[in-house]
Amino acid sequence: MRQTFPVRLGAAEESLIAQLKAAGADQAAERVTVAGLPTRRVEAYHYTDLKTLLRAIPPLAQAANEASGTALRVPGAYALSIVNGAVLNAATAPEGVKVGKTHGGVLTNRDDVIVSVSNALATETLSLDLKGAIEQVVQIDHRIEGEAGHVADATKIFVADDSSVVVLETFSGSDAAHVGNHATYLALGKNAVVTHVTIDLSGRATSHFATNEYHLADGAQLRTLVIHAGAGLARTHLFPKMEGEGAHADVTGLNLVSDGQHSDITMETQHAVPYTSSQPLFKSITRGRSKSVVQGKLIVARDAQKTDAKFMHQGLMLSDEAEILSKPELEIYADDVVCGHGSTCGKLDEDSLFYLLSRGIPKAEAETILVRGFIAELIDPIEDEALNEALQGIVDGWLLGN
Amino acid sequence: MTTPVLEIRNLHARIEEREILKGVNLVIPQGEVHAIMGRNGSGKSTLSYVLAGKEDYEVTEGEILLNGENILEMEPHERAAAGLFLAFQYPIEIPGVATMTFLKAAINAQRKARGEGELTTPEFMRAVKEAGAQLNVDSDMLKRPLNVGFSGGEKKRAEIMQMALLKPSLAVLDETDSGLDIDALQVVSKGVNALRDGKRSMLVITHYQRLLNHIVPDVVHVFSDGRIVESGDKDLALQLEAKGYADYDGQAA
Ligand SMILES: Nc1ncnc2c1ncn2[C@@H]1O[C@H](COP(=O)(O)OP(=O)(O)O)[C@@H](O)[C@H]1O
Ligand SMILES: [Mg+2]
Repeated sequence: MRQTFPVRLGAAEESLIAQLKAAGADQAAERVTVAGLPTRRVEAYHYTDLKTLLRAIPPLAQAANEASGTALRVPGAYALSIVNGAVLNAATAPEGVKVGKTHGGVLTNRDDVIVSVSNALATETLSLDLKGAIEQVVQIDHRIEGEAGHVADATKIFVADDSSVVVLETFSGSDAAHVGNHATYLALGKNAVVTHVTIDLSGRATSHFATNEYHLADGAQLRTLVIHAGAGLARTHLFPKMEGEGAHADVTGLNLVSDGQHSDITMETQHAVPYTSSQPLFKSITRGRSKSVVQGKLIVARDAQKTDAKFMHQGLMLSDEAEILSKPELEIYADDVVCGHGSTCGKLDEDSLFYLLSRGIPKAEAETILVRGFIAELIDPIEDEALNEALQGIVDGWLLGN
Repeated sequence: MTTPVLEIRNLHARIEEREILKGVNLVIPQGEVHAIMGRNGSGKSTLSYVLAGKEDYEVTEGEILLNGENILEMEPHERAAAGLFLAFQYPIEIPGVATMTFLKAAINAQRKARGEGELTTPEFMRAVKEAGAQLNVDSDMLKRPLNVGFSGGEKKRAEIMQMALLKPSLAVLDETDSGLDIDALQVVSKGVNALRDGKRSMLVITHYQRLLNHIVPDVVHVFSDGRIVESGDKDLALQLEAKGYADYDGQAA
């Protein structure tokens, strides 16, 4: 049942409605007018109340005059840039990588404001067709530059049957009150093996939203790693869909949150056919007065027998004031499945710490070793050495307070 | 006379308001191996933790001198760099931390604290290989996360291997024999004996005499209710084995 009385609209909603109308997206504008930004009463936004957290939507970003350069350089990677929503021409693409530009949104429509705004406002779309065993990491470097701006950019990636690739998306830019709305649609062909790493390194003043939609054909193997380590408010919404027998997804993510930050990873995985599996594993590390949210929903269709899926969230609190919130949900319509969820939360283990100290390792270094150990499960499977090192660098930098 | 490696004077310590160590006095001269025997719960592990500087314990009285220097104010890692090593009764499993990474961090941290340069990777690898060979610690074990999935024997061998790498002036071995079968006991004892060089001192804690057939102590102390109640030569261990600890009950009260 939908409430019918009108909601009171704030400044953020007013700007958003105007932007949607100007883009000719009347339906999306109407939806925001009627419902407003989602509050805690909307299930999927229960812990990330956008009405409270998102007080303003800046004007749509103009083309950038200057760009700051990538926030994460990975030696050997082939890098493309999307600056303020515009796809920049890049160096010659490696073999098997076809770069193109199209128009419009890339996400499947659903009742979600971030998704509908993305589909309404994304204009230039980066399209990548990937084929064969691609050795080079393909990096898409998203940046929002200049004064505070609202950016909706979109990327559509097709990975051909039997192909393999590592796609890295980085998000950064000037430290202004940007609102970034980034959409990625990634389709994996039969037996494709894909690693998709997305890292938010935006400035603290920025609000970062990303929606990643995955479609896995027979035998496709996906590993995702979302890292939130920048924006004051960050939310990544993951929609993996297992559409072919034998498909498997390791859906992983890491919220690194410091004082004043709010990071949210929300996942909704659909097992649509029999014999698919997924292993969602998320970790949160918090310090100061901060909030980390991880929500994970597993939906198993009626004939998706033999589904094997387990959602796990582990939190590590480096301060007492932080909040780690965890919400697992199972929606299972098949009867012959192995599904589960679990979550844990704690501080650094005192006995482990003492063991390291007793071997002569000073406290700060010992803590770093333990934190690295805590997230090793997420970083270690990233096999590209340069990327692995870059990820480790982000974590180490965060620990040092950057 | 040279300074003893360890001197404990009238050490009292408690945990959560409960006094566990009730006036320990102990002197270990350079190069000597002393054994502490006592029944379960008498406070032996507590003594080892207090020596190593575990935070949970409060020292209410007394002194601990390591090579003449009072270590009570030192942090655990400073004590390690000063030459103290504790082989844990229950070595801690640390998932996600590669054994090699840990060993390198430990060696280099201690070297740095002593103003020595870090080991190069080849130097480090060679040292690990040598120490590992003696204690049957193979490269497969070293590839695993620290102590994770190690059997009881593997854990104890790994502890002694760490000791061989870190070259302490005082090694405290807390029930290194527990959980070991005869073969493992021999490997571990051989490893320990190889580190007896006339200079390094050891404090071997056990409640079975068995270990002391393999690591023959210079002095045996009987520990009861938080302090040393009798000291003697290695024959004291045999007497204890025959008579048990009953004679000492109540003596410490
Ligand atoms: N964390 C603790 N809190 C309270 N009492 C403890 C704690 N740890 C050990 N003790 C108590 O201290 C006493 C000595 O323990 P311990 O030193 O482990 O003895 P041992 O090693 O000789 O078996 C025991 O009675 C034990 O119950
Ligand atoms: Mg004990």
